[in-house]
Amino acid sequence: MYKVVIGLEVHCELETKSKNFSSAPNQFTKIPNINVGTVDLGLPGILPVANKEAVKKALFTSMALNCKLPDEIIFDRKNYYYADLPKGYQITQNTKPVGVGGYLDVLVNGEVKRITLHDVHLEEDTASLEHHPNYSLIDYNRSGIPLLEIVSDPCIESADEAVRYLEDLRDLFLYLGVSEAKSNYGQMRCDVNISLMKETDTELGTKVEMKNINAFNNVRAAIEYEIKRQSELLDKGEKVVQETRRIAEDGKTYSMREKVDAVDYKYFVEPNIPSTPVTDELLKELKDNLPELKLSRYQKYIDLGLSEEDASTLSKDRKVSDYFERVIEKSDVNTTVNFMTTSILSTLNKLEISIDELFITSDMLSGVVDLVSKGDISLDHGKKILYQAIDESKDPNELIKKAGLHQINDEEELLELIKSIMDENSEVVRQYVEDGNMSAINFFIGQTMKKSNRQANPNKSKEIIAKELERRKNDGK
Amino acid sequence: MYRGKSITELREVLDSEEVTSEELFEDAKKLANYFQEDYNSFVTIMDDYKIKRRSDSFIKGIPYALKDNFSTNGILTTSSSNILKDYVPVYDATIYKKLRKAGGVLVGKTVLDELAMGGTGTTAHTGVVKNPWDMMRMTGGSSAGSAAAVALGIVPFSIGSDTGDSIRKPASFCGVVGYKPTYGLISRYGLFAFASSLDHVGVLSRNVKDSAIVTDIIKGKDINDMVTINYDKNLVDSLDNDIKGKKLFYIKEICDKSQYIDKNTLKVLDDFYKLLDKCRELGFIVEEVSIDKALLEAVYPTYMTISCAEATSNNSNLTGIQFGPRGEGNSVEEIMFDARTKGFSELIKRRFVLGSYILQKENQEKLFLNACRVRRLIVDKINELFKDYDGMILPASGGGAPTFKESSEKLSSKYLLLENHLAIGNFGGFPSITIPFTFSDEMPVGVNITGRVKDDDLVLNMANKIESITGYKDIYSKVGDIDV
Amino acid sequence: MIDKSKLKDYANKLMFDMEDSEYETLQEEFEVILKQMDLIGKIPNISEVEPMTFPYKNEDVNLREDEVKDYLTVGEVLDNTKYQVNDQVKVPKVVE
Repeated sequence: MYKVVIGLEVHCELETKSKNFSSAPNQFTKIPNINVGTVDLGLPGILPVANKEAVKKALFTSMALNCKLPDEIIFDRKNYYYADLPKGYQITQNTKPVGVGGYLDVLVNGEVKRITLHDVHLEEDTASLEHHPNYSLIDYNRSGIPLLEIVSDPCIESADEAVRYLEDLRDLFLYLGVSEAKSNYGQMRCDVNISLMKETDTELGTKVEMKNINAFNNVRAAIEYEIKRQSELLDKGEKVVQETRRIAEDGKTYSMREKVDAVDYKYFVEPNIPSTPVTDELLKELKDNLPELKLSRYQKYIDLGLSEEDASTLSKDRKVSDYFERVIEKSDVNTTVNFMTTSILSTLNKLEISIDELFITSDMLSGVVDLVSKGDISLDHGKKILYQAIDESKDPNELIKKAGLHQINDEEELLELIKSIMDENSEVVRQYVEDGNMSAINFFIGQTMKKSNRQANPNKSKEIIAKELERRKNDGK
Repeated sequence: MYRGKSITELREVLDSEEVTSEELFEDAKKLANYFQEDYNSFVTIMDDYKIKRRSDSFIKGIPYALKDNFSTNGILTTSSSNILKDYVPVYDATIYKKLRKAGGVLVGKTVLDELAMGGTGTTAHTGVVKNPWDMMRMTGGSSAGSAAAVALGIVPFSIGSDTGDSIRKPASFCGVVGYKPTYGLISRYGLFAFASSLDHVGVLSRNVKDSAIVTDIIKGKDINDMVTINYDKNLVDSLDNDIKGKKLFYIKEICDKSQYIDKNTLKVLDDFYKLLDKCRELGFIVEEVSIDKALLEAVYPTYMTISCAEATSNNSNLTGIQFGPRGEGNSVEEIMFDARTKGFSELIKRRFVLGSYILQKENQEKLFLNACRVRRLIVDKINELFKDYDGMILPASGGGAPTFKESSEKLSSKYLLLENHLAIGNFGGFPSITIPFTFSDEMPVGVNITGRVKDDDLVLNMANKIESITGYKDIYSKVGDIDV
Repeated sequence: MIDKSKLKDYANKLMFDMEDSEYETLQEEFEVILKQMDLIGKIPNISEVEPMTFPYKNEDVNLREDEVKDYLTVGEVLDNTKYQVNDQVKVPKVVE
């Protein structure tokens, strides 16, 4: 058995209107070269102009990740030549990243694991390359899109932890509203560094690097494959080669190139972007907007008595969670959870909308939940009304009022109704009394619901029907 | 008939309708073409007269020239390098936009030292620029053609760029005014970057007032250049302010005659001291100060270190992929390699290797960062002096333009403080202007006045006063048998 | 003196090559500048000085508001290269 040591470098494209250093649109499109400014093309004479929103979102994320924030914003140049880098350097942060240190607590198999971070820095994306059998094509649309890189310490110990961390990071980006983080659009990508060491070793083993993996399940596959491959090598007493590998469609990793000497990126401070202070005012603004995060909400829900599954479902999306919390501020928790995890979320899935596009506001839901939890209407009924309200874009509480759909809970009123129904169906009563036909109970429940316009409390009705039938049986003797 | 006229003079004849701006353009074009073979000031001379008619600017209808490292949409812009020899930009530099909007009429794009990295005017891909006062001599650089075009009387003003002394040195050698304002006063958007932390845009003209007129039009904050500043003071309005009691200093270690033996240098210094006396008569207080010689000797290596380092990075976009001549080869690396090997001259390559070495991880501390530290020491020292003084006055060079035989771009341990102090103005972003003040060996020599950051109004005011006592205002070389 | 082969390696990393004689000139230039920089290193307390990047402290800096403004047409993007396919810039196959 070997100890697995994984470090992840996660790249996330920030959601802004314009690019990081130019006023060209930051928008995903498949039409090539329509979102390109002079700066993004690296034309002679261009100058970068830093985007305030990108800087804010970067600082905001760093704050949420518990990093130490800088006193000023400066950028650095990372110099290298590549087909997708038109300026011949990437503007990034080396001297003073937007975040240093920090951590993200993630839940792995019920245990909290703290993933510590090296740094968080703001940079720009490269152009994208489309590969053909005999040539490649460059599309500069992606060039200059603000990119946040989150570098973890080598503290991740399994594929489970890695994937959980990635999922939680993505949820965090969505929580903070800093990125759409769609991995199928390449908006979230990661580099995996993995090495194995014996439990007794004091130094890290030889590192293998895998670059630019989009899908989280590929991260899992790549890590699992590498653990197997490197273990087998070490078992045989062979050495792991320091190299860059890529994951192929078969789930295996293949060597791309061996690491020669490390590239010297010749970093230096970007002279065209004068330093701007990170003011107390800005920090306060960001802090005031910082939401309670997923894990904290999850733990709060567990304390409220939710199951792990429900707590996880309801804390995953910030808007859903906010909505849920608005409802339970006024209404019964268990009933709300029931409505949320069934009717509300299934509707969102079905209609492919987000919760703030849903016609039913938290106040409307709260009204319905109250009626159910007080026993004024049945849960089933509540749900039916809710679906109807969604279909018709109407307030469910209005629908209930209009139809007079309050539940009949009065036992005497119910008994009277049930008696009259039994009197009209003496044959069915007879079958119960004489033949012991138990299905009579269900028949009468059905009739009661029908005659009461589905307003009869079904549980109470069932009780009363059973009692009345027994009474008639005994009377008949 | 209008050759060598100032902006103010041309404004008058345009306003009185004695001449049209199209006629002025045609004259300038004719002069430009006439002198092109002998002096080689231009990369491109415009064919057609183009003007923005809706303007009430003072320079409306006035011809001018633009250094060929400013991006001009639809007009060839080469930076005098083979690697951009066919490059036609798709966007306008801010300065070009502003001049065009004001109604300035572009006559041509001027030759520079390749990629602005040189001080001789001899390294352009289209050949050597020759000094209007003596064809056997260089113009200095890198704004060589811009200085020559003004010194030949072709245009009343031209635009240059200045990273170490690239406006102010050729101005000295060509007998014209060269003004580099405060860093950030004029937008650099569209200026092909040499060393971004030192790059300035500035003006060459035949008198201080013309430089002030032009700068008032092109200055100011630009959303495309983050280092630009708002500057509300009007430079022309301050030109005639009283300068009584204004304090100037000169540096002993640079001007002390005992360290020089060249007779031209000694004459320049004699004339300089005479000028200082005249300045005192005008009402200036002029004093000698002493600065640690080690610091002054560090100016040139510091300049080389910082500028080469930044230049290596700034020119990494020149790969022949998205623009410029495409190299040959079977991989992206090979085509970049081929384009760059063929596209850069030897000098440029040497500077890039030097710059790259300076930035290497293992050298960065000792070379790049130490240079950045010396830069601060020098700037701090000058700023300290600027607490007591309004400006620094020094000869812009120790003699007239060297002959082509004497000139070399090779780095040498033999250099004179008198030739290499102008970069101080770039280190601190100080406003700095060179005006002709004497002739030595029949060649013009300039004097330089440098002042506090954002004190451009005062610097031009002082220069304007000093210009009135030099006797060399509005000079140009009257060579050529041409009647326009 | 810096080895010529090293200089060649540095040049190659900058994506160009030079003639043999040019490397010799470069060697001499390196001597000059390194000697001068050695002198700079001897300035007292130099290591305690904060390196300067910007010529002066600019209090007038604004980050850009996040708005879409100027950008190029596809035609302009491709205007300076004749190597194009499907509105993209064509290069030899990039092996990842």
